[in-house]
Amino acid sequence: MIRNNLKIFLLTPVITSLSIQPFATAQSQETLFIGAIPDQNPEKLNRLYNLLSNELNKQLKVPVKYVKVTNYPAAVTAFRTGSLDLVWFGGLTGVQARLQKPGSKVIAQRNIDKKFRSVFIANTRSRLQPIKNQAGLKALKGKRFTFGSESSTSGRLMPQFYLQQSGVLIKDFAGKRAGFSGSHDATLALVQSGSYEVGALNEQVWKVNILRKRVNESRVKVIWRTPPYADYHWLAQPNLDKRFGKGFTSSLQKALLSFNKQSKSQEKILELFGAEKFIPADVKQYKAIEKIGRQLGKIK
Amino acid sequence: MRKIQFSPPLLTLLPGLTLLPVLFIFLKGIHNGGLSIFSSFIEASFHPALDAIVLGSSWRGLRVTIATALVSWSISTFIGLILGIFSSSIFWKTFNAPSWAASITRRILAIPRSIHEILWGLLLLQGFGLSPWVAVVAIVIPYSSLVARVLSNQLDALDHRALIAINQIGAKPFPGLITALGPPIIPIIASYSGYRLECALRSATLLGIFGLGGIGTDLQLTFQSLEFNEMWTGLWMLGLVMFSLELVLSWCRKNLYRITKKYQFSFILIPLTLTFTTFCFFWLKESEIGAITNFEWHNLSLPTLVEIESAFKELPLLTLIGSTLILTFLSAGIAIGIPPLGLMLFPSRLEVNIQSIIWGILRLIPPPLSSLLLLLFSNPSFVVAAIALGLHNIGIMGRLLKEGIDNQTDRKWHAMKATGAGPSASWLYGYMSSQSPSYLAYASYRTDVLLRETAVVGLIGGTGLGWQLIESLSSFNWAEVTVLIILYSSITLVGESISDYLSQFWMSYTTKKSTASHSFF
Repeated sequence: MIRNNLKIFLLTPVITSLSIQPFATAQSQETLFIGAIPDQNPEKLNRLYNLLSNELNKQLKVPVKYVKVTNYPAAVTAFRTGSLDLVWFGGLTGVQARLQKPGSKVIAQRNIDKKFRSVFIANTRSRLQPIKNQAGLKALKGKRFTFGSESSTSGRLMPQFYLQQSGVLIKDFAGKRAGFSGSHDATLALVQSGSYEVGALNEQVWKVNILRKRVNESRVKVIWRTPPYADYHWLAQPNLDKRFGKGFTSSLQKALLSFNKQSKSQEKILELFGAEKFIPADVKQYKAIEKIGRQLGKIK
Repeated sequence: MRKIQFSPPLLTLLPGLTLLPVLFIFLKGIHNGGLSIFSSFIEASFHPALDAIVLGSSWRGLRVTIATALVSWSISTFIGLILGIFSSSIFWKTFNAPSWAASITRRILAIPRSIHEILWGLLLLQGFGLSPWVAVVAIVIPYSSLVARVLSNQLDALDHRALIAINQIGAKPFPGLITALGPPIIPIIASYSGYRLECALRSATLLGIFGLGGIGTDLQLTFQSLEFNEMWTGLWMLGLVMFSLELVLSWCRKNLYRITKKYQFSFILIPLTLTFTTFCFFWLKESEIGAITNFEWHNLSLPTLVEIESAFKELPLLTLIGSTLILTFLSAGIAIGIPPLGLMLFPSRLEVNIQSIIWGILRLIPPPLSSLLLLLFSNPSFVVAAIALGLHNIGIMGRLLKEGIDNQTDRKWHAMKATGAGPSASWLYGYMSSQSPSYLAYASYRTDVLLRETAVVGLIGGTGLGWQLIESLSSFNWAEVTVLIILYSSITLVGESISDYLSQFWMSYTTKKSTASHSFF
């Protein structure tokens, strides 16, 4: 009796696996895997991912799957290993990914990414005055300073570059180091609370937070806007035409560029990305970022 | 004049002294600027977001985490059992092999566990890309080796007379080994592997926070965007799973001997676990991140020796090691010292229950989140990271201590009471004194764990090997990554030997072996 029971129990895993197997492997057509670095509203983007994948699916007639990515280097690695076909990258991560996967194509950016900026914000108790010109950044020496994510272009790379240009190094800050809050929103919260006296973040995130009334302007204010630089962009794998048919990459680009506010779902997608529309982007725009990345050791 | 002697119960309170410098620095930097954000964080815990989208997303995340934990737990237990047998001295002795064979196997097996599962996860991610299996393998590698270590220690510590007797009547070595040592080791394995399942759930969550999918991912993203209501949805769901698992396992531990005596029961238990794991295996495959199910190696451009050498010279290694060690000691002091201190000062039943609830919440909130939360009130310093790490581990130490105390008799306590001692003193000498050697033994093991765990909170303070490693990884600087991993692993290997020595010392202090229910950790 026991022996019989035992047989059944030992067989159950086998039976279960057999019954699930066919569903797991039913994948005949090539799927386009897309993703985005976790930068702005990542949690919302992840939840509403089917908006974007459905839209691309409708226009391109191939299965599209959105994959959640939660940190910047993971997105770069996923692109290098071919886990992701189309990724929404920041300036620095985009360059890192392109260098690790030669031949990949920069296909679009938002209207605001051509001339993107970071802002330096300060807690009012720090008594820091608005900075008139870049040399004025010297006033930040000895202050408690935080960046955002360590791989962020607007939250770390460019701010660090401008600081360095005006002679302020990380070891000049209080405690001989800078903080890394992990995200633009966290930087804002930490400077507003006063734990850090100064921080740098993506200007767009700052503006959105003001609109959403999450900023207490008696506690935190902008003291400097950086000069403009090129930032976020869509990067596609080099082999898409080979896998999905001739001209696929340009159809993909066309699809992204066609998004407009007439269509409800497209409007929602643009809103999630914080864009008016997507525009064509060029590799050359990111030459400066590459140079700065190398200079600061973020690109080997 | 008599010299003051530190007896074990007093020694358990000693680590609490680290609180003085920690609190001094923390309170010096404290301010009320983060009060409004913190109150909205607390408030949100009563109003988690309940709309379908958030609930659905949290549930999908939780599913991945549970599946990751279960799959990695069962694979690592299986591999660990085999490796454990191979690394025990008694195994080699039975086959008349030289004794160094066991010690070499042990030394080699110490390497995989010298690196925290988060670091394994981040490293494997580089080679294998996004795949649900990365998280599973990241847990399996160190866990297998941890299980093996415990099993081999336990096998060697067992009473070997039965084995000798069986061998002398001419039994074949391997069947003899199983027959003689199987029955006494089964309850130990069962109890320990239950504990590992709890750990696997925590590890799977933490891996999510570092970008490897599951509920941790949801927690991290919602927290970073300061969407506390949505974050609490995930946290409460995780809490529900974690606490029910703890309840089930603690029931099992209490009734362990009764359960394992019935062989029929273990015949049901094993296939049941297997079925469940297989189910999770396919669950994981079907999960969102499981869109990419292939698990293949993608070549990395490995650094040359010259590059590694220059990385070795350029990195501020001494500073990094120093700050990692300070972080470890401070957080260990907090985690070890506070539970006995709290129970001593507040020993009434109600107060103990309140402390149990607080410990539960501390176990639930992952350290990277709590460190950011603490940072809202206090100026940045490595103390913040130490407190965050310490708080999480108070939750773990406290529960173990309480379980130990609950399982012992309270005769000593009654005796102390009868002599007219106050509640705190009778708690310390009535309850804590018989627990303290095993608590201290566990504490030294925990310190070793904390050394590995510093990788998790380094980011906030911008200090320590963990932070530098994440910075080098995000720069894809493989030379630096290689140097840091080797260094980190060597430190933890040394740390492990010290902690082994200390915990053996404290275990030998115990007179009654049976009171040390968690001696194997």
